[in-house]
Formats: sequence, C-alpha cells, structure tokens
Amino acid sequence: MSIQILTVDDSPSMRALLRAALTGEGYRVDEAEDGRSAMEWLASNRPALVITDINMPRLDGFGLIAEVRAQAQFNALPILVLTTESSPEKKARARAAGATGWIVKPFDPAKLAAAVRRVIH
Amino acid sequence: MTLDEIQAVFFQECEEGVAAAETALLALKAGDRDGETINTIFRAVHSIKGGAGAFAFAALQSFTHHFETLLDKVRDGELAVTPTLADLLMAAFDILVDHVAAAREGSTPPPDEAMVAALQDALAGDVAHAPASATGDGLSFDLAAMMADTLAVAEEASEWTLSFTPTREDLANGGEPLLLIREILSLGGRIERVDVSRLPTLDQFEADAAWLGWTIAIPGTVEESAICDVFDFVADPASVRLVRGEEDAGGASFDEPSSPIAPPAPVAPVATVAPPTMPSPSLATTPSAPSEPRAATTAPAMIRVDLEKLDRLVDLVGELVITQAMLSQRLSSHGMAAAEELADIDQLTRELQDSAMAIRAQPVKSVFSRVPRIVRELEASTGKRVMLEVEGEATELDKTVIERIGEPLTHLVRNCIDHGIELPADRVARGKPAEGRLRLAAEHKGSRIVISVSDDGAGIDRARVLAVAVERGIVAPDARLTDDEIDQLIFAPGFSTARTVSNISGRGVGMDVVRQNVQGLGGRISIQSMPGAGSTFALALPLTLAIVDGMIVRVADQTYIIPLTHVVESLRPETGAVQRTGFGTSVLNVRGAFLPVLSVAEQLHVRGGVTEPSEAVLIVVETENSGTAILMVDAIVDQRQVVIKSLETHYQQVDGVAGATILGDGHVALILDVEGIVALRGSMQWLKAS
Repeated sequence: MSIQILTVDDSPSMRALLRAALTGEGYRVDEAEDGRSAMEWLASNRPALVITDINMPRLDGFGLIAEVRAQAQFNALPILVLTTESSPEKKARARAAGATGWIVKPFDPAKLAAAVRRVIH
Repeated sequence: MTLDEIQAVFFQECEEGVAAAETALLALKAGDRDGETINTIFRAVHSIKGGAGAFAFAALQSFTHHFETLLDKVRDGELAVTPTLADLLMAAFDILVDHVAAAREGSTPPPDEAMVAALQDALAGDVAHAPASATGDGLSFDLAAMMADTLAVAEEASEWTLSFTPTREDLANGGEPLLLIREILSLGGRIERVDVSRLPTLDQFEADAAWLGWTIAIPGTVEESAICDVFDFVADPASVRLVRGEEDAGGASFDEPSSPIAPPAPVAPVATVAPPTMPSPSLATTPSAPSEPRAATTAPAMIRVDLEKLDRLVDLVGELVITQAMLSQRLSSHGMAAAEELADIDQLTRELQDSAMAIRAQPVKSVFSRVPRIVRELEASTGKRVMLEVEGEATELDKTVIERIGEPLTHLVRNCIDHGIELPADRVARGKPAEGRLRLAAEHKGSRIVISVSDDGAGIDRARVLAVAVERGIVAPDARLTDDEIDQLIFAPGFSTARTVSNISGRGVGMDVVRQNVQGLGGRISIQSMPGAGSTFALALPLTLAIVDGMIVRVADQTYIIPLTHVVESLRPETGAVQRTGFGTSVLNVRGAFLPVLSVAEQLHVRGGVTEPSEAVLIVVETENSGTAILMVDAIVDQRQVVIKSLETHYQQVDGVAGATILGDGHVALILDVEGIVALRGSMQWLKAS
C-alpha cells in the first residue's frame, strides 16, 4: 500500500498540481478544501503527511495545525505548509504554530518531492 | 549497498585495472605492439576515470583524463609506440597508482603537474621531454593549461564538511533529523563522525530530545544550495555548519574517545560566523580556516601501578563476579534468567575478570632467569657438567604464582642436578655424553600452565626409594607398590634419599615441601621417570589463583564446590554396583576399571549424608598424582564459576579443603581439595595395610 498524504487547499488548481506531483512520486493523495473538512477527514484517517495551505475559509492553516497538534495521536504527524512568502518571519511563525516544514509556492515538483522525503520515511 | 560499499568495489576495480595495466605496460616495454595490449591499458585507465568522477576524486579524475587522452591517441594509431613513449606511459602509470592510493586513503594526491605536462607534450607528438621522474623539471609545459587545470582541481577537490547537531525543536512537530541525513547521503555525503558526547545517562535520557551530532563529508561537486535546501526546515540555523574542506571538528566522537589518563587534545574551535544578512535558506557558512594541528596524544606505553591497587582491582572484580552471580540468581528466581542483558553482563564480567587477571600476568622469564646461575653454582660444587635448555620463557602466569613458584622450581632444579644427573665419568661409562642436559620449559595446557624440569640423568632409583620408605616407616615392608606409587613416595614428608646430606638438597626442605608449595598455589606436581634415561617433574599451575569453574554439590546440609578441572563424569550407580572391599573402602566398576569410591561426607566427617551409594550421585574425578577416583555426594546442585577465598587467610588450613567461596545466595561453600582427598585415601590405604 502506498503512502497516504492529505492535501488541504481551497484552490482546486493547486490541489490538482499537488496531486499530479505527488502521485507522480508514487504517493496516494487525499484532498480537503479547508481546515475544517481536513479535521473531519482526520477523525477517521491516519495519513503519513499533511500538506496545507495557510489562507482558507472556515479553518485556516494555522488553525488546522493547532487543532491537529492538540491531539496526542498526531504529535509526530509531519505537516508541511504551502506558503507564497519565504521570509524568515513567515517560516518562524509556521514553525511556532507546529509545522514541520514548508513548501514555497509556486513549487517545483522535484523540490516538493525532496521536501516530502525529508519528513516521511 | 551503501555508498561506502560501492566505493570499496570501485577501489577493488582500480586494483584489478592497475594490475592488468601494469602487465600490459611491461609487455609494451618489452616490445609488444599488439593493439590489445594498448587497449588493456586504455580500458583500465578509462574505468578508473569513470569511477573517480562518480565518487568525486577530482585529482584522480583529472589525471586519468590526461592519461586517457594520450592512450586514446596511441590506441588509434595516431601516435607510434616508441621506447621513449613506453617509458612515459610507465612513469604515468606509477603516478596513477599513487593517485589511486591517495584517493583510497584520502591523503594528498601526488604532484602530477610535470607528468600532465609531459603527457600533453607527448600528445602533441613531442615525447622527447618526458620527465625522468614525476617531480622532474618539466619547464616546457603549457603553463596556462596547467594553471587552469590545477585551479579546476583545487575547486573540485575541496569537499564540503557539514556538521549537523539537531536540537529538540527539530524533533518536534513530526520532524525527523534522520531523514535529513538520509537526504544528504543520497547527495553523495558520507558520515565521518557521530558525536555522542552529549548523550546523557539513562536516567536523564529523554526520548524526544536530540542528543547526537553528525559530521558528514559531501563531495565538492554538490552545490551549496542543494545542501542548504535539505536543512531548510531546521529550526536553529546554528545547528548546521557547512564549510569547504577539512574541518577540525570539536567534541568527542566514536573514533576519538576521551581518555581519563590523557586529556583530550585541545581542539581549535571553529567559530560559527553568521553572515551580516542571513541568506535564505539561512545556513551559517564559514570559510575553511586552516586547522590547527592537534596536539599529539602520545600516551606512555607503560605505566607503573602500585601492586596494592592492582590487587584491589582484582579483588573488586572478584566481588563483582560474586554479585553478578547473585543478581543472576535473583533474576532467575523471578523467571528472568533468559534476559539477554544478563548474558551480556555475564560475558562482560568474565572478560573484565580475564583482563584484570591479564594485568597481573607476568612472563615466567623472571623465575627462569635465576636458573642459569644456580646451574653454574651446582656445576662448580658437584663437579657435574650441565647444559641448560630453556623453553617458553614468555609464557605468562599470575604474579603471585610467579612469586611463589621460584622456590619450588629452584628446589627441583637442584634436585635434578644433585640426584638425577650423574658425574661426567659415570655418564661416559653409561654411554651418555659427559655433559648432562637439564631442560626447563613452560607451556599452556588448557586452563593451566605446565612448567617442567627434565634431566637426562639416572632416573629415580625405585629400589632405593622403596627401601628408604620402608626404613622410615612410610610404607609397610610387605606393601606392593606400582612404579608410579614408588615415585610418589619421594613427596612423602621427611623423605630424603641423598646418601650424604649435601649442602644442596639436604637443607631440611624435602620434596614434600615442594609439593605443598605447588598445591598451595592450586597446582599439581607429577613425576615421570625412566631408570637410566632421566626424570621429568611437571608443575601444572592455574592461570590465576582467584577463580575456579566449579561443580556445586550437596552433602548432608552442606554445599561444596568440586573444581571442574577434576571432574570427568557423574553417574548414578545401580543398587549393589558399588562393592565393598577390605580396609573399609568401596569400588565401582566403571567400564572395566575398578575405581575407589570415597564418600565426601566420610572424608570430611560430615554427619547425615547419604550412605547408600545407589541413592547418591557419584562423580568421577581425575587427579594428577593419585589416579582416578569417585567422590560420592548427595546431589549436584549447579555448575558455575566461583571466586576462591583463601581459608588459611581467614581461618586455617583444613585437610581436604582447598578454599572457600561465597555463593550467589550469600552462603559460604567450601571448595574441595580433590587431589588431597584422593591422596588422603591412598596414604590411608598404605597406613591401614601396616
């Protein structure tokens, strides 16, 4: 069984790009359109990785990370955030919120794959 | 296959290629102009170049490139093979070999500028300037080409040295530093060192904190940004340090453990210099600073240690063995006997014990070296002529044994010369060389060291020995003794056969004292004698005085240890199998041999033991001097290594008991002196006969 990754983004095009890049690497991809539906999906699923956008309706990326980390079972779940800005301040904020790492948009499939490799076995 | 393994395969290929090329070059030099000969050289150099590129051995790659280019021309027939060219190729080959060795050992590549220039000259059809040696003054080379080349080499050759010390934050939020290292290794990096100095003790260990640090070498060809990208998510930029070239990394590591004796050499600190504007991805890089040479940690080869300290160590190790046994007993009573760690500790304890014992070990040379002088003195005083042969001087023995073996050994040597070796005239009359031969030898035999003293003298005069023994009331006049038993008589207390009490042997110290001394050391003495041909006295000594492998047996309510070296087998006799003979002794027929059965309870005057042999356990024991016998005990309890505690030191010598030990449950058990018990019965038999 292939490795399961959850992508969370409100933009269908971005979700499709992620899906294409990740399935190309052999990963199995599930999608959620915002933080809230991601939490609902996580209630019954244990992915190997969550890749999430920051700006989303209902529950944003930081909110999602906070709720995920609040659950002991997800202590060690790697979470990568998609960010358009690569400023150290933004990164520091993402880390403080509990993100494992980040992917700068627009992403290059090879760099995405490398980033994923650095957080899942 | 790991990168290191692949690299090892590469060097193996290099070796094969080099060997093939050498054979071909020699043929070439001898006049062989076959196309395949050149081809062989070309292929070898080509494949080395390929591997050198893959593993980023830039200097090797660069040199093989030049070499290959020339060989290619020769192969294509564009260049004719002249003796001068053959010499050049041979010289280039020698440098190639140095290059391969340098790449393998990670040392500085050999200087090859002159050779590269010569190769380039040869390529242009000018082989006249082939350098005589690699360091020859090749002044006619293209300086610009060479400069460009060496510059390229310098840039490529310099490896990245990365040190990565993850912090607790890197393990939080699903982070896993291991994956980053995996990623770096996939870029061609190889782990040089792992810093374990921050690892705390077990009670302070936290699973979610980061304790290790890695030093990783990355090929110089890997781009800095590729390396930095890997550490993009690392929380603290200071935990990653990337420099070009070698770095004198500080901190303890696996290959350089800090020693309590020699403090670790001071290490030149490499400052983490943060650039004024932190670039993104932020990674502190420092230029490769010339590293300070490490102060050589030259530990002295020898140290003098107070013997008392050493004995204390040996004593403590002995206590450790006992405590370990207790722990093992306690754990097995809780069903944890199979714990893997227990086996490990057992193994370690034994090794520790062996090591501690080894510290006390000394070559027997210190004792043997006294003998030549004794021999010379005896030659002078007796008029006998003796040639001394010494063998196995380097054999090691416990210091205490060495110290206490000197006197018995001296006595045996005196005895051999005084009683064994004949006067020159007598020897010649008996057809022997006038000069007698005395051989002193030491050797390992199982868990014992056997020191033997042999002479080629007259051997034991058994008739005389027996006559003296009868005269002194040691044996009954009508006793029938075997040759061996007669030989044993010389160890009987107060026995001396010297016709005149010489000032050599007759000092009131007889062979009985020699035997006592040897037995006191847990050793055994045996004699082999052949009338007219000489005698051999063999001292079988324990390697150490502190430990014995023992069988734990029960007799009545007492626990005893039978040293395992004596034990041959154990059996349960059928009813009536043990037969009573005269003199109150019993025998058992063991596969055709009648062996005396001795009740341990009876010998040691213990009441309440099993008296009926069919209800007891019989242990067949072998002795050095008194043959094979059977000890009767109630039951066998266990078998284990025990630490010998002297009974004499704490109480007094007891017949039939060699010492005592403390068992795992804290009880004291006596260690049986099997030799003594069996011998006791032997002498009793003679005495009873009278």
